[in-house]
Amino acid sequence: MKHLKSVLFMMVIAALLLAACGGGSAPAEGTEVAGGEEATQAPGAEGGEEGGNKTATFIFTQEFDNLNPLYTNQWFTAITYQMWSCYAWTYDDQNAPVPNLVTELPSTENGGISEDGRTLTFKLRDDIVWSDGTPITADDFVFTYEMTMDPNNTVASQSPYDEMESVVAADPQTVVVTFNEPFAPWAATLWKGIIPKHVLQPVFEAEGNLNAAEYNRAPTVGCGPFNFAEWEAGSFARFVANENYWLGRPKLDEIFIRFVPDDASQIAALQNGEGDLGTFIAYSDIPALEEAGVQMFTVFSGYNEGLYLNLGEKGHPALKDQGVRQALAYALDRESLVNDLLLGRTGVAATYWDNTPFVDPSVAPYPYDPAKANELLDAAGWTDSNGDGTRDKDGVELVLKYGTTTREIRKEIQAVFQQQLLEVGVGTELINAENFFDGYAEGGPAATGSLDIFEYSTTANFPDPHTSEWFCDQIPTDEAPDGSNWQAVCDTDLEALFTTESSQVDAAAREATFHQISKHIFDQAYWIGIYWDPDIWAVNSRLTNVKLSGATPFYNIMEWDLAE
Amino acid sequence: MTKYIVRRLLQAIPLLLLISLILFVLMQNATDPLATMGGRTPTKPEDRARLTRQLGLDKPIYIQYLYWLIGNDWAKTDLDGDGVAETYGTRHGVLRGDFGTSIVQTGRPVTEVIGERLPNTLILMLTSEVIIVFGALLVGVFSALRQYSFFDNLLTGILFVGYSMPIFFIALSTMYIFSVNFKRWGLPYLPTVGMFDPKVGETPAQIILHMILPVFSISFISFAAYSRYIRSTMLEVLGQDYIRTARSKGLPKREITFIHALKNASLPIVTVVGLDLPLLLGGAVVTERIFAWPGMGRLFIDGIDRGDTPVVMGILMMIAVSVVVFQILTDIVYAWLDPRIRFD
Repeated sequence: MKHLKSVLFMMVIAALLLAACGGGSAPAEGTEVAGGEEATQAPGAEGGEEGGNKTATFIFTQEFDNLNPLYTNQWFTAITYQMWSCYAWTYDDQNAPVPNLVTELPSTENGGISEDGRTLTFKLRDDIVWSDGTPITADDFVFTYEMTMDPNNTVASQSPYDEMESVVAADPQTVVVTFNEPFAPWAATLWKGIIPKHVLQPVFEAEGNLNAAEYNRAPTVGCGPFNFAEWEAGSFARFVANENYWLGRPKLDEIFIRFVPDDASQIAALQNGEGDLGTFIAYSDIPALEEAGVQMFTVFSGYNEGLYLNLGEKGHPALKDQGVRQALAYALDRESLVNDLLLGRTGVAATYWDNTPFVDPSVAPYPYDPAKANELLDAAGWTDSNGDGTRDKDGVELVLKYGTTTREIRKEIQAVFQQQLLEVGVGTELINAENFFDGYAEGGPAATGSLDIFEYSTTANFPDPHTSEWFCDQIPTDEAPDGSNWQAVCDTDLEALFTTESSQVDAAAREATFHQISKHIFDQAYWIGIYWDPDIWAVNSRLTNVKLSGATPFYNIMEWDLAE
Repeated sequence: MTKYIVRRLLQAIPLLLLISLILFVLMQNATDPLATMGGRTPTKPEDRARLTRQLGLDKPIYIQYLYWLIGNDWAKTDLDGDGVAETYGTRHGVLRGDFGTSIVQTGRPVTEVIGERLPNTLILMLTSEVIIVFGALLVGVFSALRQYSFFDNLLTGILFVGYSMPIFFIALSTMYIFSVNFKRWGLPYLPTVGMFDPKVGETPAQIILHMILPVFSISFISFAAYSRYIRSTMLEVLGQDYIRTARSKGLPKREITFIHALKNASLPIVTVVGLDLPLLLGGAVVTERIFAWPGMGRLFIDGIDRGDTPVVMGILMMIAVSVVVFQILTDIVYAWLDPRIRFD
C-alpha cells in the first residue's frame, strides 16, 4: 500500500502548509507566511522595501488586452491610465474636469477656442515629466496624433483624431488642434492617454508600426503617480510609486491588480481581504460585503437602463402613437421595482441623461398610474374588442415583442413588466437574445428592427452628453448597416436640436439645448427610463481618501492611503 | 514498431488539415472580434471598417484560411484604405511554424501567448490527474477486492455524490467554506484566488497552497468515473481462471492482485487515460475561471469570447496534435502491457 502512504504524505504536507498560512494573515507580514527559505525566493519582493510598505490590491474581472492607450478600447485598461499613464485632464467625483497636463481647459472666454469653434489651443504645464525624467512636450501630443492616424498601426480607435484637420506643436508648451467641423464633445474624447515620443519613435522607425511594440505590454515609461512594474499574464500586474510625479509622490507605495474573471470569486476575495477594491458588484452581493466591513461606492458613469420603442417600419404600429407610448410609461411601476429588485439602492430613471446637468429640471419620471394608462390606450382606439385579454385595433393585437440581453436582472425586470403591462391590456412576448448587441449586418435583433421594445443601457461619450443615436441617417439600412439609431426614431425637431448642440462651443448654451432635447424625448416617450445603472464599487475600509469619478475613476489615486 | 509509428504519423497529416479547416470555419462563425473590443460601447463604424481591412478580416474565408496555413508574405494588403493593396503581409503561416499573432493582445505571437499559460495549466492538471489516477486505482482495486462490503458501498456513495455535483458548485462552496468562513471563524484558511499571492511571490509553497482547492474540485468530480471503471475491470479479471490458478498455486495475495490482475485490468484504463491526457492541455475551463488560475482554459474562453481566432486555433491545433501523439503512445503502452499485441 505504498500509494496510500504517498497520498497520506501529500495530505500531511498540505495540512502543514495550511496551518503555516493561517499564522500570518496580515498582508504586510506576507514574507513571514511561508517561512524561511521560500520567502527569500519571492520575486515580487525585489523592490527591497522594508516592512512599512503600503500595498493595495485591486480585483479586476477582466485582464488587460494591451496597455498602450492607442491599442485598446477596454474599460478595465482605460481606468488604469490615471495610475500610470495620463489624460490631459481628468474628471473629479462630480464629473468636473481637473487639468492635469494642461494649465486650464480651453474655452471661448480664455481664448482657447476659436470664434468658429474649430480650433482649440492647449497650454501645457511646464513642469510635467515622463517617469524617466524627460519633459512631456507638445511633440508628444503631435506624436500621439500621428501614431493614431498612421495606416500601419492597427489602433483600437481613431476617434476623434479622424475628425481633425491638423495637430501642431506651436511651441513646446502649446498644442493647436484644428477640427474639420466644430466638435462639441472634444473634452470627453480628446487626449486620453499620451504616448512618449522619445521611447516609441525609434520603435516605429525600426518596425514600421507599433503593433508589436514592447511598450504595449510593458509601458515602463509613464506619466502617472505610479509606474508600471510588471504584468504576469492571467495573474496580476504591479505598479509602484513614481518618485518623479509632478503633483507629489503618491501615498501608497505599491498597487497590485489581480485578474479574477469570476464574479462570485471576486466577492469571496473582497470578503476575506485578499482584494481591497473591486467593481461591477451586483446589488444582491452588497449586504454580504457590507457585513464584512467593505464600503460600497455608487458612481454614476452615464448609464441609465431604459426601454427603447421601435418606431420603424417593422415596429408595432401602436408605438407610433404618443398616447400609447406614454401609457406604457404610466403602466410600469418602476418605483417598486427599484425597491424590490434593486434593494432600493438606486432610483427611477426619467431620461437618458439622468444624474448629469443636461436634464431639464422640470422632468420627473412618469408616475405609476394604471388608470391613466388605460385612459390613454382607450383614447388611442386600442380596446379589447375580442375579449382575449389584450387590446386590439383594426384586427391588430397589442402584443409587443420585448427583447433584451440574457443578463439576469433584465430577465427579472421583463417578468415584472410583462405582468404590469398585461394589467392594462398590453401583451408582451419576451425575448432574451445572446446576440442582442450585434449590428444590422450581423442580424442583431434590435438593430434589424425585429423587436418592438428593447431594454439596455449605454452612454456614448460620458461625461459629454452627445450621442448620434437619434439622427435619422443613423437608422440602419442595407446601404448603411452601421447606424446606431436602432429605435428608428426620425423626428426632425429632435434632429435639429442635436445638430445645434453638435457645434455649440458655449457650454451654457449647449446645456440649454440639451434641456430641450431631454424634455422632448421625455414628452414624446421615445425612451422610457427604468433605473439609474451606476457602477457599484467595493472598497476595503482600510483604504482611505478614496474618491471615485464616473469618467476617470482613479482620478485622485495619488491621495489614497492605507489605515493601519 | 518504427514503421508503425511513421505510418500513423503520416496518416495524421490529412486528418489534422481537415480538423484545422473545420475548426477555422467554425471559429469564423463564433464571435466578431471587433464588436466591442472589450469596451463598454460598440466599436465605432469607421474603426470597425478600418480594422477589418487592416487585420484582413474582410477577405473571403478560404483566403483567410490560406493565409493562416501558408502565410500572406506573398500577397499585398490595403492598409491605408485607398482601395489599392500596397503592403506585403508579414505572416508565414502554420506550415512554416508561424501561428500568427493574437488579435486581442495586439501583435503578440500566439506561441508566446500560449507558452506563458501552458506551464500553469500543466502544474494544475497533471497534479490533479496523478491524484485522480492513483487514487482511483486504490479505491477501484480496494472496492473490487471487497465487493459489496461496507467500505465499498461507502466509497461508492461518496464518489457518486462528487460525480453528480457540478464543478462550479464544489469550487465555490469549498472556497466559501475554507477561505471566507474559516477566516471569519479565526481558523487557518486557504486563499481564494490566483496561483500565488503576488505580494509574496511565485514560491513553491504559495503555489501548493493555492492549488489545494482547485485540485480538490477537479479530482472530486472525476474520481468516480475512473474508480468505477477500474473496479469493474478488476472484478472481471479477478474472476478469471488464471487468477484462480495463481491462488491455488499459493502465490501471495499482493502479487496476484497487483502483478497478475492489475496489469491485465489496466489495458482499458490506459485507453481512457491516453484519451484524457491530451485534453489536460486545454485546462479546466470552469475551475480556472473560478479560482482565477492563469491557465489555458481561461485563455481559451477569453479567446472565444473576443473572437481571437489565431489564439483559439493555436490551442485547438495543439490539442489535436497531442491527441494524435498520445494515441500512438497509448498503442506503444499496449504492446508493453500485453505482449500478444504486435503492430508490425
